[in-house]
Amino acid sequence: MIFQTLVLKLLQEFNGERTVSAVYHLLRGKRSGQTIQDVGIFRLHDFFGLLPKLNRKIFDDQINLLKDHQYINILPDNRYKLTVSGLSRLKNTVKLSFDGWHYRGNEHIFFARLSLIVQTLSHQRKGDMKFIPIQQNEVVQHWVKNFLKSNQFDNGQFQETLLEEIVSSLEQLTNDDREKTIVVKRLGGMKQPGFTWQQISLHENLTEMDVQLLYIACLHSWIDEITSIEGKYPLLSKIAHQVRIELPLTDSANQTAQLFKKGYSIDEISIIRKLKTSTIEDHIVELAMNDRNFPYQNFLNEKDVQNVLNAIENYQTKQLKILREVVPNLSYFQLRLVLARGD
Amino acid sequence: MQLEEILYKHFGHRSFRPGQKEVIERLVDGKDVIALLPTGMGKSLCYQLPGYLFNAPVLIVSPLLSLMQDQVTQMKLLGEKRVIALNSFLNQQQKQYALNYLHQYRFIFISPEMLLQQQVKERLKQLKLSLIVVDEAHCISQWGFDFRPDYLRIGELFDYENRSPILALSATATNKVLGDIKSYLKMNNPFQYIHSVDRPNLHLSKRLFQHHEDKVEWIINHVLETEGPGIIYTQSRTKAESISNLLLNVGISVASYHAGKETLDRQFIQQQFLEGTIKWIVATNAFGMGVHKDNVRQIIHHTIPSNIANYMQEIGRAGRDGNDALAILLYAEGDEHFAKMLATDDLPSEHHVHLYENYRLRNENPHNMFQNEEISETAFRVLDYWMNQETSAFVLQRLNKMRIDKMQDVNEMMKFVQTEDCMRKVLVQYFGQPLESRPNNCCEVCGIQYDQIINQRQIEEIPIENNSWKKRIESILIGN
Repeated sequence: MIFQTLVLKLLQEFNGERTVSAVYHLLRGKRSGQTIQDVGIFRLHDFFGLLPKLNRKIFDDQINLLKDHQYINILPDNRYKLTVSGLSRLKNTVKLSFDGWHYRGNEHIFFARLSLIVQTLSHQRKGDMKFIPIQQNEVVQHWVKNFLKSNQFDNGQFQETLLEEIVSSLEQLTNDDREKTIVVKRLGGMKQPGFTWQQISLHENLTEMDVQLLYIACLHSWIDEITSIEGKYPLLSKIAHQVRIELPLTDSANQTAQLFKKGYSIDEISIIRKLKTSTIEDHIVELAMNDRNFPYQNFLNEKDVQNVLNAIENYQTKQLKILREVVPNLSYFQLRLVLARGD
Repeated sequence: MQLEEILYKHFGHRSFRPGQKEVIERLVDGKDVIALLPTGMGKSLCYQLPGYLFNAPVLIVSPLLSLMQDQVTQMKLLGEKRVIALNSFLNQQQKQYALNYLHQYRFIFISPEMLLQQQVKERLKQLKLSLIVVDEAHCISQWGFDFRPDYLRIGELFDYENRSPILALSATATNKVLGDIKSYLKMNNPFQYIHSVDRPNLHLSKRLFQHHEDKVEWIINHVLETEGPGIIYTQSRTKAESISNLLLNVGISVASYHAGKETLDRQFIQQQFLEGTIKWIVATNAFGMGVHKDNVRQIIHHTIPSNIANYMQEIGRAGRDGNDALAILLYAEGDEHFAKMLATDDLPSEHHVHLYENYRLRNENPHNMFQNEEISETAFRVLDYWMNQETSAFVLQRLNKMRIDKMQDVNEMMKFVQTEDCMRKVLVQYFGQPLESRPNNCCEVCGIQYDQIINQRQIEEIPIENNSWKKRIESILIGN
């Protein structure tokens, strides 16, 4: 049901102006100009890259289910609009604390590290260090080994310190106890294996997908809490090191951003980077979405901006094609910049 | 030092299991060896112990990444640090490092793909090896149940004067496969140790049904009445999910296991199964490797495996502690059609051959077929190998032959299902061995009574964890 609400909500946000694939790409966190731009236009940062491994069939099944329940109506070109019952289905649903834009699946790295650390500490406390590591990924194993060594994990107090940090940080969260329980059930130690998604789904009477969404929501707010104030949770913030994406640009966009900040024009950057100007424009739009101090005046004057905003208001649309007809003196690129501001 | 001393020092055992000492002694003498030892009979010790005798690395060619990873984990668990797995999991930097220091490892596991890389080949040539092990050697034969074309090239690679002895290992192989192993690996008059494939403590049952659905109902009743731990094998992920959910609903502690499960889930399932909190596993054939549980009491086949060797391997996971165990094979009319479909599913088709040709014509790397999801990985491996060996007309013929063979394998399996002869005898004879004796409750045909082999189910509450998250994390980290 949580997944269903999520898909429904995203379809509503897109307001029939995108195909269902836009929702799919958004959830998978596709790094294409179009998807990134959609994030900005429709203010969907929280949902970007929530489910990087989402299977197309599972997604399509959900769309069909929404159709069967008559929560959505089909429009031309595989686009959808919510029906009245779809809209009422959306009311009274709990808002989950997603922050996809800043994690994009990285929360799983945090959890992989944490779970191996917890397993190791559990065995260390009981004096039996022979165990099969719960995380098979060698990068994670290596990271954890270094972390434990450099923090003198065998000083006798390490378990207590980490426990204290885990408990006090989780207590700070406004998330449901149910979400915290799910996260902790995915941890295990000596003679206390963790629980599978199938088992938790049975305990909680939810589908596996829904359990996983609750888990992701809880991890996002947990890591937000851990990294919010420096020094508050010394161990956990080390474990969360470089998990939160502070500069959420693609690598390529970042390179463009560096040149742009040095004062190069779009055409110059295009020559230097041997990329099409349209690609550079995509990058600039991406930058505008992420940088509050983006110098719009380089590309637009205040009057143009106002004209576009009025058009959006009057025609109730964010479709570029329609906006272009209403404000024909602006290029698509300029229109996208206005939309990127999101106001 | 005596072999027994080394055995005790490094492995903690006082005595060898059957076959191990004979095999090791021949290797010490520098002879090539083929050893057929059933799963769970200590195959890996045959090359692990020599690792402590010689002053040069042992090279182990291993076909499956998951198997390799598990072998390495198990060795590290025993305290061996000088072990490395050379496979596609390594990035360029890690690989370079490993290659530079290769001589310092005691055990080098390697995938056949990696073995054929120029850089690796050359490094291995400089290296003095004490022993070359070909694990799961039946993969070299297209008569084997798990043919890996890359295995055919192992022989060429080590075809030089004064090479170290080769040890070819497998759990089960027919005489035909045995012949292929010898010739493709260019083995030099090898010593053969062939352990009987018969496992007297495994009792063989079969049940025939009219309708497919009846089998699931029977499984539920059977599991409600008898004691595990047990494994139920089925053919698909969806089936594994649905049967496990049905069992969960009647209060059985069970988990589904298949290649679609994420790694952490698989670890949890294995741990819980080992500890006994999960009594039953409903699995596709992905489950088994890397499960080291001695006291599995029952194996139920919800569907027939696609060949006898697979069946043998799967039932072999029961009763490793030597105590009685029960294997029940379920069959409903028409099951063989599905088994045939499944068995040939992974073979490249005629369409794939033409596709491959088109890629070539376009000067595009055919490997992109796999990247473009036009073919499965296993199918591509087979296709790619043969397309580089012979013309597509021959490849088509060959693939057709392989398809017929796979169907034939299913027919063999069907004979086993339908036999009115002793099941144990048919099974053992399939591997070209005589049956020496029959235990009590031998098989369905000879007469079998379940209650003399397995126990009645003791009904116990599944402990549902009601602890708050705070209690749970506290108990994991500092105990209660």
